[in-house]
Amino acid sequence: MKRLAVLALLPFLLLACPRRESASSAMKVGLLTPGSVNDGGWNAIAYEGLQQIHKQLGAEISNQETKTPAEIDEGFRSYGAKGFDLAFGHGFEFQDAALKAGKQYPKTIFITTSGSSVAPNVSPMVFQLEQATYLLGVIAARESKSGKAGLVGGINLPSIASTFLAFKAGAQSVNPNFEVKEIYTGNFDDAGAAKLATLSLINAGCDFIFHQSNEAGRGVFQACQERKVRCFGSNKNQNDMAPDVIVASAVLDVPGAFVYMARLVHDHQFQPHVYWLGMHENIVSLVWNDKLKAALSPQTVAEVTRIEADIRSGKFEVPRGKF
Amino acid sequence: MSRLFRRLRPPTPDSRLPRIAIAIGAALLSLVLLALSGIAFGHAPGELLSILISGSVGSKFALEGTLLKSVPLLLTGLSVAIAFRAGVWNIGGEGQFLAGALGAFLGARYGMAAALAASLIAGALWASIATAMRLWRNAPEVLTTILLNFIAIHLLGYAVNGPLQEASGKYPQSDVVAASLPAIGSSELHAGIVIAVVAAIGAWFLLYRTAEGLRLRASGFNRSAAKWAGVNVDAQLVRAMAISGSMAGLAGGIELLGVTHRLFERFAAGYGYAGIAVALLAQLHPLGTLASAFFFGALTTGAGELQRTAGISSTVATFGQAIVILAMIALTRRRNA
Repeated sequence: MKRLAVLALLPFLLLACPRRESASSAMKVGLLTPGSVNDGGWNAIAYEGLQQIHKQLGAEISNQETKTPAEIDEGFRSYGAKGFDLAFGHGFEFQDAALKAGKQYPKTIFITTSGSSVAPNVSPMVFQLEQATYLLGVIAARESKSGKAGLVGGINLPSIASTFLAFKAGAQSVNPNFEVKEIYTGNFDDAGAAKLATLSLINAGCDFIFHQSNEAGRGVFQACQERKVRCFGSNKNQNDMAPDVIVASAVLDVPGAFVYMARLVHDHQFQPHVYWLGMHENIVSLVWNDKLKAALSPQTVAEVTRIEADIRSGKFEVPRGKF
Repeated sequence: MSRLFRRLRPPTPDSRLPRIAIAIGAALLSLVLLALSGIAFGHAPGELLSILISGSVGSKFALEGTLLKSVPLLLTGLSVAIAFRAGVWNIGGEGQFLAGALGAFLGARYGMAAALAASLIAGALWASIATAMRLWRNAPEVLTTILLNFIAIHLLGYAVNGPLQEASGKYPQSDVVAASLPAIGSSELHAGIVIAVVAAIGAWFLLYRTAEGLRLRASGFNRSAAKWAGVNVDAQLVRAMAISGSMAGLAGGIELLGVTHRLFERFAAGYGYAGIAVALLAQLHPLGTLASAFFFGALTTGAGELQRTAGISSTVATFGQAIVILAMIALTRRRNA
């Protein structure tokens, strides 16, 4: 019992230590992620964006990993109550909470990653990776000998299906009869399943492969290397992962998107609407593997460069899934 | 595994004070260790503790957050406590929580009462699958209930990508549920907190003031003795699991109707598993779960504030749960030795 009494006193002793208070007029930016920022993927890149905001704009930053739905509400409202200028919610599932907190705290701007809900101080940012995957489709159709390309997806999510749709549209803009086969493996981390899916596509005659399977993409590249079939990288510049077969990568700069939105808020340029972030904002790009680019026909490269310029200037709009 | 569970068995009835002291000691120990861990992140332990406390109970805002999170914890804690009392290791709270939420979503179109009833029934049915497998093939609940969790997660995933997906078809989530629990005054709290507290008192009454409760505890305490005393232990098992499952199901239903208003894949978020820590800290006593659910609710809310202001991952709340369980085992063992 004595020991317990000492234990009971400990917290109060610790409480007696003084607490530091910080006060400054710097911009305050908060981020809610749906999972650990050490996941090396979706949440990690958002956190990197937050840190870039701190570095580039000198903002005071804060983040919370929200595991339960109740924490999402609470996180947003806490940032509102503390007078944050900007709060990000990293996923479509943050929309309802953003709308609710936005009403309560009109001085804070709430941005969700993807989504469609807009209010005077609430907007989603939607990435247009489709602009780059469309170009990959053009490359595949112009360079393919078999007239077939294969797509390997993880889970059939609207955002993934949309990049495939754009790939198909790009390919069929070159050759309306170009065949595009799709396989979804059902997850984003089983490299073995992705490899098998890729091999089956190659056996079916596909001579270009594009994947959207995150970590499992390794399996796709292995299969392509073994069978000497050309392929494309996605989301990150993956050209180095298989330099002999990856022709180009469709790259999405998520941290850049966070900085882009924070800069708008910082410069008082924010307007409530859906922010489509793509090549024009330098968030999406097509990164060539120069070694393999040299082996392509000059017309293909010229044509892709021309379409890329049209996309960037807004002259051409890439088709995308409805979500 | 089974030895661990035997250790966690309800202790023999004896003087009440030391048992409460053990629980309070375990809770305080977890707080102290959490605060000390702050040194690793370059924060004074006192500063951390003060953020943890002010961020969980220090303001109306914080207290509302704590109470809001205590509601599902209280119900999943009750679910675990009732099952463990009956000698069944129901660790399928997560799956029963999801089944309850799905039931509530479907029932909501017929009104609030129907939604709540549906969540109770769905949770009970989901738990009863494990009971059926026990009676039919002697399959251990530890295994079947945890496997049923995964099935429920995939069932929910299928539902929000298929038949229950929002009408606009944009995201893997359901439309807003047809009914919702009324808010309490102008606060963030909803009527679910009243339901949960009533459930806790009801569970206490059932366990300690009815013949059913006596039989349930007797079969948990010593199955053979209960059997020879004339208790139909199989029927008792069926009822205990159904009651346990219905509590977890109700937790899911209330979370849907009071907090999220939609279904989506990440819906359960570990409340079912957290219920085990809640029940153990409460020493499997229904009224004890009131305090221990509040403690863990406060820990989670305080951990959120800790991350927002001090940059320490809110995972420390899980760390705290683990310490509580380990401390409970260690302290209980000392006493028995």
